[in-house]
Amino acid sequence: MQSTKDLNFDHDKALAKDFLVNFADIHGDLKYMNILQEVANRKTRAVEIDLADLFSYKDSDDEFLRRVTENTKRYIGIFAEAIDEVKPEPTEVFPDDDQDILMTQRSENGVENTDGSDPLQQMPPEIKRFYEVYIRASSKERPFTIREVKASYIGQLVRISGILTRCSDVKPLMKVAVYTCEDCGFEIYQEVTARVFMPLFQCPSKRCETNKSKGNLILQLRASKFLKFQEAKIQELAEHVPKGHIPRTMTVHFRGELTRKVAPGDVVELSGIFLPIPYTGFRALRAGLVADTYLEAMSVTHFKRKYEEYELRGDEEVQIARLAEDGDIYNKLAKSLAPEIYGHEDVKKALLLLLVGAPHRKLKDGMQIRGDIHICLMGDPGVAKSQLLKHIIIVAPRGVYTTGRGSSGVGLTAAVQKDPVTNEMVLEGGALVLADMGICAIDEFDKMDESDRTAIHEVMEQQTVSIAKAGITTSLNARTAILAAANPAWGRYDLRRTPAENINLPPALLSRFDLLWLILDRADMDSDLEMARHVVYVHQNMESPALGFTPLEPSILRAYIAAAKKMSPCVPRELEEYIASAYSSLRQEEARSDTPHSYTTVRTLLSILRISAALARLRFSDIVAQSDVDEALRMMQMSKFSLYSEDRQRSGLDAISDIYSILRDEAARTNRMDISYAHALNWISRKGYSEAQLKECLEEYAALNVWQIHPNSFDIRFIDA
Amino acid sequence: MVGLPYDCLANPHGVVRLTFEKAISSGLDPSTSDGKDWGALDLFRQFLYCNDGLSQVPVLNARNVKYIQQNTLVRFRGLIQDMLGNEFYIGAYKDGCTWRTNKFMDASPFQMDLSPDMRLWERRLIYCVPVPGINFWTQSSEHMADQCNTLASEHREKRQRDNDGAVDSMELVPDLEFLGSPSAKKLQDTIIKGNSPSISSEGNYFPCLVKMYDFVDSDLKLNEVVEFVGVLSFDPELPMEKVDSDAFSNGLSEDELVQLPSCKVPRIHCLVHRKLGVHDFLPSGPMSEPNTLLIRGIREGMLGHLTALLGEDGVAAQFLMLHLLSGVHARVDTLAVGKLSLNLTCFTKEHASVFGSRLNLAVKNLLPFTQYIPLTIEYLNNTSLAPKKDYQTNRLVSGVLQLAEGSHLIFDETQLQAGTLDSVGLHNAMLLENLIQFQKVEYDFQYYKMEMTADVQLLVLSEGKSNILLADLVLPFEPSSSGSLETVDVETLQAWRWYLLTLRSLPHSISPEMQKIVEDDLVAARQADRSLGTVDFSRLLTMGRLMSLSFGETSLSLRHWQLVKELERLRKERLK
Repeated sequence: MQSTKDLNFDHDKALAKDFLVNFADIHGDLKYMNILQEVANRKTRAVEIDLADLFSYKDSDDEFLRRVTENTKRYIGIFAEAIDEVKPEPTEVFPDDDQDILMTQRSENGVENTDGSDPLQQMPPEIKRFYEVYIRASSKERPFTIREVKASYIGQLVRISGILTRCSDVKPLMKVAVYTCEDCGFEIYQEVTARVFMPLFQCPSKRCETNKSKGNLILQLRASKFLKFQEAKIQELAEHVPKGHIPRTMTVHFRGELTRKVAPGDVVELSGIFLPIPYTGFRALRAGLVADTYLEAMSVTHFKRKYEEYELRGDEEVQIARLAEDGDIYNKLAKSLAPEIYGHEDVKKALLLLLVGAPHRKLKDGMQIRGDIHICLMGDPGVAKSQLLKHIIIVAPRGVYTTGRGSSGVGLTAAVQKDPVTNEMVLEGGALVLADMGICAIDEFDKMDESDRTAIHEVMEQQTVSIAKAGITTSLNARTAILAAANPAWGRYDLRRTPAENINLPPALLSRFDLLWLILDRADMDSDLEMARHVVYVHQNMESPALGFTPLEPSILRAYIAAAKKMSPCVPRELEEYIASAYSSLRQEEARSDTPHSYTTVRTLLSILRISAALARLRFSDIVAQSDVDEALRMMQMSKFSLYSEDRQRSGLDAISDIYSILRDEAARTNRMDISYAHALNWISRKGYSEAQLKECLEEYAALNVWQIHPNSFDIRFIDA
Repeated sequence: MVGLPYDCLANPHGVVRLTFEKAISSGLDPSTSDGKDWGALDLFRQFLYCNDGLSQVPVLNARNVKYIQQNTLVRFRGLIQDMLGNEFYIGAYKDGCTWRTNKFMDASPFQMDLSPDMRLWERRLIYCVPVPGINFWTQSSEHMADQCNTLASEHREKRQRDNDGAVDSMELVPDLEFLGSPSAKKLQDTIIKGNSPSISSEGNYFPCLVKMYDFVDSDLKLNEVVEFVGVLSFDPELPMEKVDSDAFSNGLSEDELVQLPSCKVPRIHCLVHRKLGVHDFLPSGPMSEPNTLLIRGIREGMLGHLTALLGEDGVAAQFLMLHLLSGVHARVDTLAVGKLSLNLTCFTKEHASVFGSRLNLAVKNLLPFTQYIPLTIEYLNNTSLAPKKDYQTNRLVSGVLQLAEGSHLIFDETQLQAGTLDSVGLHNAMLLENLIQFQKVEYDFQYYKMEMTADVQLLVLSEGKSNILLADLVLPFEPSSSGSLETVDVETLQAWRWYLLTLRSLPHSISPEMQKIVEDDLVAARQADRSLGTVDFSRLLTMGRLMSLSFGETSLSLRHWQLVKELERLRKERLK
């Protein structure tokens, strides 16, 4: 039995040798011989054998591959032996280190020092090796989650993904203990395979045995071989944990070159050998029959989570290609954003465009034109603004959700803080800096700090955050698309006032948003009935009403957007004229109207271009088409429509807000907080309003807590105007 | 026990061994079976459920654990507080040339030699604690206690005498001196301070490590209440040893043996388990075929009691009853359908002292799992409400909000003073807000958070409207008298418990005609008051459902819908 097994291993060693010598990658290079040459030249220590290579090797033997996967630990030894035999001579000279000098001495003494076949006196091959062998699992299939690694995988090579929660310090681990005997002077070698070993105390050499001298052994630390060793804990990722369960953990051992590659918090993919450690000694007594397990790491890969580095999985590519052929992809993608929120199609389209964005442009003279599309949503409380924001953050690979008030002292931009330990001034990035190359969703935009509000001007156009505090002058990148949500100034949106008055934001800031969207809670029967039906349906059937379509999975959405982001569309010459004329007609229209609702500026033109480019990206096209520009113009029109289409001319209503502004302006002019009723009546009658209208106005705005009315004299007192 | 050649109760291992040998002789190959059941469980199931063995199995608790013989069959009811992952054990090995198994035991009775014929099998570790806030009446099954006493009496005397010394020293010396390394000390500290797995003398903290075999991975979930029947393994005599491994493990050792020594935490090798709902905690069996009339009678009686309890405030009593019947029965998107939290406002300090304690007592008597939490600034700043993963010990440290489904919480906000919340307090306030709005609790895993669903009834007592706990219903409390209460006899109380715990799981439907009426009413209400939203609609429908459930009916009738609207009108009136 034993001999046939050995024979098999010899055969497999031959296979391994053949593979190492003859394997050629797609460029025809002898991959492993090159690595071994590096090893021989002491340039590198790690020899990583990729199972994918073994799989694709022309003479590959499926049985051999299976044996390597299922008994990896043993085959690492076999590959190491094979490497010992095929390793080329060094082609470069390198300075001898201690180890080399020792080795030379050993080989000189070798002949005379050994007496016979005592295994403990033969130098183990391990001590001569200057390399470490790793076998890496093929990265073709999906990695396991920790809970999928079962008892049946013991001894096998597995690939898992997870997050590191704890790491130990790197410590030396004895690989070969070397002793010298006080009596006979022989070197005695002891190979250590476990973490714990029993040191030798008596010289086992023949000479000492015959002399019965019981030679004292002294451990030679300098001659022994050590390996770097690190222990870590890996935990399942949140998305891999079934509902109602808690994440599992696993112990991982890193050795040699793999140490110091990870830190707690890293999301990694590991391949390694799943091994048991039976408890020894006292612990075994306590533990009874239990065995501990660990993963001996063979390779470490860090996960990346940016769009640019998003790697498509096999089936995703096919799905995206299929989606791209679908003519209705724009609508489909938009609907799949926050599918549980009913309606708001155009808003969702706008949010989709924000996710996709346009390419950044850097002009020859160094000027940068941002590609990020900024959107501001405003509206009544309870219209799912925050839900939309949060959903976008989930879809975006890098997104930060924050509120205008800011949850930390760092706020939105950045802060200089004193490190409590070192007393150094350190720069800490706020939400906008953290969202660099991603999306920053700011809820309660209207309640933002004054300091943040000034900084946001810079972020939105120049896309940097400048800091000049406590001797630190610097500029941090904040290339982020801003998605803001604002509540109206008086709790509910007052249709009689302009958006600027309602949101309380300066026009300079508002003009930086490409799209400004108003989500109002309209008082119409149909939408109320729709709402009532929805709620009744939910209570009746314990599920949401069917959407009429199946929304795309967030992962597919993310992959599609990642693919779209790789495009860099440009505007063809023949469209330039079209855009220019569209822009000039917008300007004309504005000039003609007496009460311009917005300022059409060069920024508007840039917005049109950005939105068109984002639309072209969604079509996977390198050229902006006229249809893109038309859709961009429609979006801008719709966004304005949502702001100004409300019936402002409803009789009576407008008069009241007019009266309010007259009174407010007068108060501001005279710099007083209170106005007597008689004065107010005087002013408004000059403008041609009646006393009844004034009274109505006083009541309405008193209800909004804008001013207080004296119950008897009707004198007006502004609250914190 | 006629006809059974083995004693399932006193010697379960014998049964396991016997069936294993039988299975081997009929061709079972332990090297490939992977530890799957070979027929032992069927025998146990038959014994427990067909031969009425379940009632003979003692229920394990802190008081009797020292007297119950090791390796006998026990029952344990607990909440799954933590899942410790899998444990690999030597499941089968060859003793000479016969296969033996170690399934369902901690230590092998035979000497094992290291041989290639050892099979590693897998079992799953679940850490269970008694259901938080469990009330005394759920355990008052007297005959059960007697049962276990008689059963254990034969061992009791001897063991008691033998153990007296050992047990005492065990409890007095927490072995801190033994534990040399600092990390071990830390572990010990957490054991003692945190959710310490030590048996407290009151018996309300009694954890148990359950080892599951033949499980389906998705079968049991965190926070579920489960009854386990299995083999007890508990050895209070085994001393805690010095932790010798830490020099090598860099303080990364977190093996549950160190933290949960078997001398303090009993282990149960689970044979059969059953998930429990709130109604399983009713001491007596279901009443005989309850009819509508009977249900109405119970309803009237309880409503009367609640009205008296609330100082003759009938409206509040109605709302309180609906609230006590509520529970999350579905989740649609982010919405938890069926929850109905209640905030009784106008609770002055004087009210709180009288009615608060009365309410607490009443709820305690009616529902199985209840807690009363006075909300103060210090409480918010200093309590850990959400469970948190401790990576030092690799354990989930429980928080106040780790609760079983159907738990009831009273938050007394009347003692809240003005003060500053620190970051912990702010986080806790957010957690409470999430719980009351979405019935979800975020568990802190340090590197990420995980949302766990909850199903907790929340009753808030406050002077003004609570702004931390935004309840579904806000009702100003208007007591007119604070007369003394009549005492309720046990049988009536039982009926009320049965009523509250059973009716809440009744099915419910709305007929198409009724649906139309409801929709029109909702639209009309919104036309009249623009501030109404989906939340209010949802609340009204929930109240409609609970109202018809309270009459024992399964579909919404016009009368009940009108009752709900009337209640809502009365509530709105009070809010003005």
